[in-house]
Order: sequence, then structure tokens, then C-alpha cells
Amino acid sequence: MCAGLSVQLVAGEAIRILGVNGAGKSSLLKVIAGVMSPLKGEIHYLGQDVTHDRRPLQQDLLYLGHSLGIKNLLTVSEHIRHYCPSVLPETLQTVLTQLGLIDYADTQVKALSAGQKQRVALSRLWVENKALWLLDEPFATLDVNAVALLELRIKQHVSADGLVLFTTHQEVLSLNAREVSWLV
Amino acid sequence: MTYFSFLMTEFCVLWRRKHDVFNAVLFFIIVVSLFPLGIDPAPEFLAPASGGILWCAAVLSILMVIEGIFKEDYRDGSLEQWLVSGLYLPLLVLLKLIVQWAGVVMPLLMVMPLLSQMLYLPSGSFWVLIMTVVLGTPSLFLIGAIGAALTVSLRQGAMLVMLLILPFYLPVIIFAVSAIRASQEGAPYFGFLAMLLAMSLLSLVISPFMTAVAVKASVN
Repeated sequence: MCAGLSVQLVAGEAIRILGVNGAGKSSLLKVIAGVMSPLKGEIHYLGQDVTHDRRPLQQDLLYLGHSLGIKNLLTVSEHIRHYCPSVLPETLQTVLTQLGLIDYADTQVKALSAGQKQRVALSRLWVENKALWLLDEPFATLDVNAVALLELRIKQHVSADGLVLFTTHQEVLSLNAREVSWLV
Repeated sequence: MTYFSFLMTEFCVLWRRKHDVFNAVLFFIIVVSLFPLGIDPAPEFLAPASGGILWCAAVLSILMVIEGIFKEDYRDGSLEQWLVSGLYLPLLVLLKLIVQWAGVVMPLLMVMPLLSQMLYLPSGSFWVLIMTVVLGTPSLFLIGAIGAALTVSLRQGAMLVMLLILPFYLPVIIFAVSAIRASQEGAPYFGFLAMLLAMSLLSLVISPFMTAVAVKASVN
């Protein structure tokens, strides 16, 4: 899987990974993030070989996979504070309002719909200060408004010299993302 | 995510899943209560057997909990987030185990006085029983976590966990029950307690690392 793939990622760009189902898009993100280990090849971050110890990269990393990493028994605010304990109350309010979750701040995640859960998971993009975002199907289950909001957030991040690597089957033309694709 | 926010979240989730702990404690009470009813309610039988009965019931209750200790984290993607958090995975594992141990063993300790009275455990041996539980159960959690992490991705992993970890539980049970029996007979029991402490410390040194490796392999 992903044999022969070589990608150089530069700060300040959004990269969309394309490929048919089973091509290894999610696996590629997992390997970069450190969830999986590569069978072959190397990963370098800021000139440093991080293939065997991903911690230098993980300091700057925000990874959202298919499983969102949300605990059903936490409330929406508790979830955000779990990942970003230093978030200010006013920032939390602003982000929840932007994402349409303000009325659910004290609601347990298990009571939310799939799209709302996706919004809760994505809320980390607004509160955590990480340069490298690895997002696996971030637009899945989102409604039109949320898609626009996420596109805007990605653009903001990229313009602030952030780097976004994402997979999606949806057309997100407004992002003007560089595309990386390969066949299985 | 920080170590502190992780710890607080684990306490919070455990509190909201208190029915799981309640089930384990209820199971413990039921098993202990069935012995006098099912075998012999005479003090001559129950008093010498009380340590063994209480310990076997406690081990079974802990087994109920330990099998699923990482299941929810695996399902909701939290284990992936542990791996990419940049935090030290063995320490995250250890923090989770501390929370789980406190959440399960403390309620068991609270019902011990009543149940030990029911089984005619001499009052002089009660504190030895408490000491065996405090010193011995950490190793049960630490050993159990390795099995739970290895089988977290399996749908029907409960039996496999038991087969994997029960052989390692036996020495703990033997030393714990021996300590209680020795105290009942007026024999020295500190050696047994020291062995329990040693096993817990050895597990503490080895288990978080092995569990972390197992977690990584299972998520892979």
C-alpha cells in the first residue's frame, strides 16, 4: 500500500489526497501521524528523521481519523477541554457559537447526531494551536453550512502558514488544494 | 491533551459509567453470599475459608471489569488519539489503570467489613485481608491490562483475556490467601504481604510498557 509514494509537504498549503476506496489514503495519514508504522520508507519532519520516533512531529500535529476520538459520556465543553485544557471560556463560547453547538455545550456527546459529533470533533481545529492538520474525511456527514465553515477555517490555517493534509471524496474547489493521487 | 486533563477525563467517564463498577461490586456480594447458602453456613467451615472466598470473588469481579478496560477507548478512537498525542503512552496507560483500580477496589473495600463478618473472619485477620487487597489488587489490574490491550480489537476476547492472564493471577491469590490464613493461625504473615507488594511493584515496572506495546499493536 502506498508503494512508491513520495510527497514533500510545505507549510502554507492544503493537500488533498485522492485515491479509490482501499487505495490507502487513511493508512497514509495514520502512518504520518504515528498510529501505524511504515513497513518501508522514511518520514522526515523539519529535516529530522521521525520514522521511528514521531514525537517531534506530534508536538505540532492534530490528527482526526475516521473514529473521532470523542467520548460519548463527556459533554461538548468537556470534550474540548479534554483536548485543550487551556482554552479560555470566551474562546470556547465563540467556537461553540460558530459551530452551532452553543445550545449543546452541556449535552453529552452520545445525544448528538452524527453531523453534530463531527462538528464536536472538528472544534479542536479552532481551539488547538497546531501547525500540521491531518484530517481523514473531515467533510463527511457535515451539512452545507458546516462544510463552508470548515473550508474557511482550513483557508485561514493555510494562510497562517499552517499545513493541512486531508482526504475527501467531496468536491471542495474553493480550497484550491494541491492534489496527490495514486492508483492501487 | 495533558496528563492532568487525561486523568480528569478518566475520572469523569468512570463516574458516569458507575453502573459498571456497581455491577462488579454486586457480583462480588452475590458470589460471597452464595457460599454460605450453597455449601455450609457453619462458622467452622466459613472462618478458615473466608479469605479464599473473598479473594476468589474479588478476582472474578476484577476480571469482569478488566476485559473491557480499553474497549470503549478503542471504539471511539481515543486510543488513536493517545498514540498521536505526543504524550508518553506507558504513563497514559498507568494513569488509566490507577483510575480504574481506585474505582473498582475502593467500593470492594467498603463492602469487605460486612462480608467478612458474614463469613466469620476473625477481627484480627480483617486488617490483613484489607492489606492483601490493597497490596495485591494493583498487580491484578496491571497484569490484566496487558491481556485487555492485546485483545482489544477482538469481538469475543473475554475468554482469551482470562486464558492469558489467569495463570499470572494464581500466585497473587495464593499469597493473599496464605497471608490471611497465617494471620488466623497466629503465624507470621508479613512475608506473604511482602511477596504481594513485590509482585505489584514488578508488575508496575513491566506492565505499562507491555500494555503500551500491545495497545499500539492492536490499533495498528
